[in-house]
Amino acid sequence: MDLYAVLSQILVGLSRTVILFIVSSGLSLILGVLRIPNVAHGSLYMIGAYAAYTISKYFGGQDTGFWVALFGAPLFVAFLSFIVERSVFQFLYEREHLMLVLLTFGFSLIFGDLVKLVWGGEYKTVPVPRIFQGYILLFEHLHLPIYNAFLIIIGPVVALLLWLFVNKTKMGKISRAAAVDREMVGAVGINVSWVFGVTFVIGCFLAGLGGMLVAPTISVTLGMDHSLIMESFLIVIIGGLGNIWGALLGALIFGLTQSLGILLWPQFGIVFPYAAVVLVLVFKPKGLLKSTW
Amino acid sequence: MGKKGLIPIAFLLLLLFPFFLPRFYVYLSSLILIHGLLATSLNFVLGFGGMYQFHHCVFYGVGGYTTALLLTKTSLSPFLAFLAAPFASAILSILMGVICVRLSKLYFGMLQISLGSLVWAIVYRWYSFTGGDDGIHGIPIPHLLASTNSAYYFTLVITALSMFAMYRMLVSPFGKTLQGIRDNPVRCEMIGVNVKLHQLLALIIAGFFAGVAGMLFVIVDTTVFPEMLFWTLSLEVLIMCLVGGWFTFFGPLLGAAILIILRTIISTYTVYWALVLGVIMTLIIFFLPNGILGYIEEKLKRG
Amino acid sequence: MLEVKGVSKSFDGFMAVSRANLTVNKGEMVAVIGPNGAGKTTLFNLISGILKPDSGRIIYKGEDITFLSPYEIFRKGICRSFQIVNVFQRLTVFENVQLSVLSREKKTWNLLMPAKKFYVDETERILEQVGLKEKRDTVAGFLSHGEQKILEIAIALGGKPEFVILDEPTAGMSPEETVMCMELIKKLRHEMDLTILFCEHDMDVVFGYADRIMVMVRGETVIEGTCDEVRCDTLVQEAYLGVSDE
Repeated sequence: MDLYAVLSQILVGLSRTVILFIVSSGLSLILGVLRIPNVAHGSLYMIGAYAAYTISKYFGGQDTGFWVALFGAPLFVAFLSFIVERSVFQFLYEREHLMLVLLTFGFSLIFGDLVKLVWGGEYKTVPVPRIFQGYILLFEHLHLPIYNAFLIIIGPVVALLLWLFVNKTKMGKISRAAAVDREMVGAVGINVSWVFGVTFVIGCFLAGLGGMLVAPTISVTLGMDHSLIMESFLIVIIGGLGNIWGALLGALIFGLTQSLGILLWPQFGIVFPYAAVVLVLVFKPKGLLKSTW
Repeated sequence: MGKKGLIPIAFLLLLLFPFFLPRFYVYLSSLILIHGLLATSLNFVLGFGGMYQFHHCVFYGVGGYTTALLLTKTSLSPFLAFLAAPFASAILSILMGVICVRLSKLYFGMLQISLGSLVWAIVYRWYSFTGGDDGIHGIPIPHLLASTNSAYYFTLVITALSMFAMYRMLVSPFGKTLQGIRDNPVRCEMIGVNVKLHQLLALIIAGFFAGVAGMLFVIVDTTVFPEMLFWTLSLEVLIMCLVGGWFTFFGPLLGAAILIILRTIISTYTVYWALVLGVIMTLIIFFLPNGILGYIEEKLKRG
Repeated sequence: MLEVKGVSKSFDGFMAVSRANLTVNKGEMVAVIGPNGAGKTTLFNLISGILKPDSGRIIYKGEDITFLSPYEIFRKGICRSFQIVNVFQRLTVFENVQLSVLSREKKTWNLLMPAKKFYVDETERILEQVGLKEKRDTVAGFLSHGEQKILEIAIALGGKPEFVILDEPTAGMSPEETVMCMELIKKLRHEMDLTILFCEHDMDVVFGYADRIMVMVRGETVIEGTCDEVRCDTLVQEAYLGVSDE
C-alpha cells in the first residue's frame, strides 16, 4: 500500500480525533462529575457550528469573523447550557440514568428543531480564514491543509488546559471530589449544585468549541449531531467514564480506525470504529483507563 | 376483573376498523400495532427485566431485512420468509446478549448500543446486499396480504398473538423471576437464581418479538431502510414505553398509539414535530415518571 | 452442624475477620455480638458465600462449603436475611416469597404456566406463619419497615432452610416490634425445626433468646459460650459490655 496514502489518512484521522476529543472530553466531564449521560451534547455541538456560521458572517465572513467566532460560538453554547442547567437539569441529578437519557434526548429533539427554526434547512459554510488556507508540504507528496495542522495543534492545548483545570484549580478539585462522593462535598459546606452547574457549562463549552472548530471543514447541516453524539458516547465509554485522558485515547482509536478503515476497505470504512469499540468493550467492559465511577 | 373484559372489546373494535376507516387510517393503525408490539417487546426486558436495552430496533430492523431479502433474493415460500425473521432476530439476540449480560445498567446499554450501531453500519454500507442507505423498495408481498386491509388483519392477529404470548411469559414463573431480578439482582442470586442466564433468555424473547414486528412492517409497508436500525428510532421506542408506562403491560402499546397519532396530527400543521415531542417528554418525565397507564393504575389502586 | 474454623478475610489490608471460630449445633440459636465494625456482617457474608475467605474453612454438615457460590449454599439449606431491607420492591408480598420457593424447586425456567398456580399452599403457609397473610397482595415497597424486615425473613424461609442466618433481624424496629419479631423467630424455630445464627445490638434480646453467644471484637473471636459464661467473662465486660453501658 502507498505509504503516503497511509500517512495522509493518519493526518486526516488526527484532525478528526481532535474534534472528537474536544466534544467527548466535555461529555466525559459531565458524565464523570454529574452522572448525566447528556444526549443533547451533540446538539450543542451542532449549535456551536451554526453559531460560528452566524458570527463569522456578521463580522464579514473573513478572518475577523473566524476569530470572533472561535470564542463567541462556544460562549454562546455555554450560555445556552447555563440556562438549561439552571432551569431544568439541576432538579434531576438524582434521577435514574434511563430517565436522564430520555430527558436529554428530549432536549436534543427540541434543540434540533430550534436550529431548524432559526437557521433553516439549507447547508451553511464557514470560510477558512486566510492564514489557514493552503497546504503545508510535509514530504514530497504529503500535503497537509494548514487548517488541519491548526486543529492538530489545538487538540493537545485543550487537553492540557482541561487537565490543568481538573487537577490544579480549586474548582476542578472540588468537582473531582464531588464525582466520587457528592454528599461529603456537600457536608463540608460547598454548594454542590453550583459546582455541578459550572462543570456542566464547561463541558458544554467544549461541545460548542468542537462544533465551531469543525465548521470550516464541513458543510454545517441539520442532523450533524446524530452521528457525532453516538461516536462521543462510545469514545467516553471505551476510554473510561469521566477520564479526560481516556477520552483522548478513545478519540484516537475512533478517529484513526475510521480514517484508516476507509483506506483499507472504502465501502465499510464506518464499520471499523464500531468494531474497534466492540473489541475494546468485550475485553475491557469498563473502558481502557480508570473510570471515576 | 372488569379490566380484562376491555381487551376482547378493544380487539373486536380493532377488527371493525377497516369497515369505517379510510385506507390511510387503516395503514396508520397497522403502524401503531407494529410499533406497539416493538415497544412491548422492548419493555419485556426494560420495564420487566430492568435491562437498559438502548438499541432494541436492531432486532426490528434485522427481522425486516431478513424477510425483505428472502422475498426479493430467493424463491423461498413467502411463508418461510416471514417465519425466518423472528428467528434471525433471536439469533442476533443470543450473540449480542452473551456479550452484554455480563454488564449492567448504563454499561450494558452502551455496549448494546455500540454492537447495534455496528450492525447498522454494515446494513447502511453493504449496497450490493442490503441496498445501503436506499434500502429495499417494492418488496413483493404474496397476493393474499397485499391489500391494506388484509395486511392490517394479518398484523392485528399476529400482534395480538405475540402480545398474548408475552403476557403469558410475564405472569409465568420465569416472568416473575425476571421481575425479581429487576428489583433486586443480588437477592435473586442469594435465593439461588442464575441471574445472567435468565436475563439472556429474556433478551432472546424480546429480540424474537422485535423480529416479528420487523416482519410485519415489511408486509404493511413493502419497504425496508437502514433507519429501521438507527439508534434514534430505538430511543423513540423507549419514549413510547415511557409515555405509556414502563411498569405496565399495555403501556408501551398505548404510548405507541399516542405518539403515532400525535405525530400524524401535528405534522399536518407544522414541521416541528420533534420540538413538540421533546416538550411532551420533558413534561412526562417531570410529572408522570411512571407514564400515563402507570399513573392511572396507581390512581385505581389507591381507590 | 456448622463449623467455622479459623476464617480470615481482609479488605485492602484491613482485617475484617481474623481467625474467627464458631460452632453451631443442630437446633441451637446462636448470637454473634460485638461492637460496630467487629466483622459480624462480613462473617455472615463469608458463610453465605457472598465473600470468599482468605484462609480457614467453613464446614456444614461435615461438608466443606468454603468456596461454594451463594446459590449452591442456598440449595444446601442455608438461607439468610439481610441487615438492610432487601426485598423485591415491585412484587407483591406473595410473589416475594413464592419466588424463593420457585427457585428452590428449580421452576424459574417455566415460561408457559401462570405463576399464580405454583406452590400457593406452601407460600401462604409461610405468610401465615410470619403473620403477613393479610398483606398477601400488597406490593412489597408499600409495606412498613418492620413488615419488610419480616418479609425478608419469609423470603429466607421460602428456601425451606434448616439453617437460617439473620443479620440484625430487628434493625430499625421499635421496642414493641422488636419483641414481636423475636417472638416470631422463636416460634418459627420450633415450628420449622430451625437452627439459627443471628447478630443483634440489643443485649436484652441477645441474652433473652440465644442459647449460646459468640463475641467478636475487631474481627477476632473473643469468647464463645453460654449466656452465663459470656456474662461472667471479664474480658467481654471490659471489651464490650462495659462500653455499651456508657
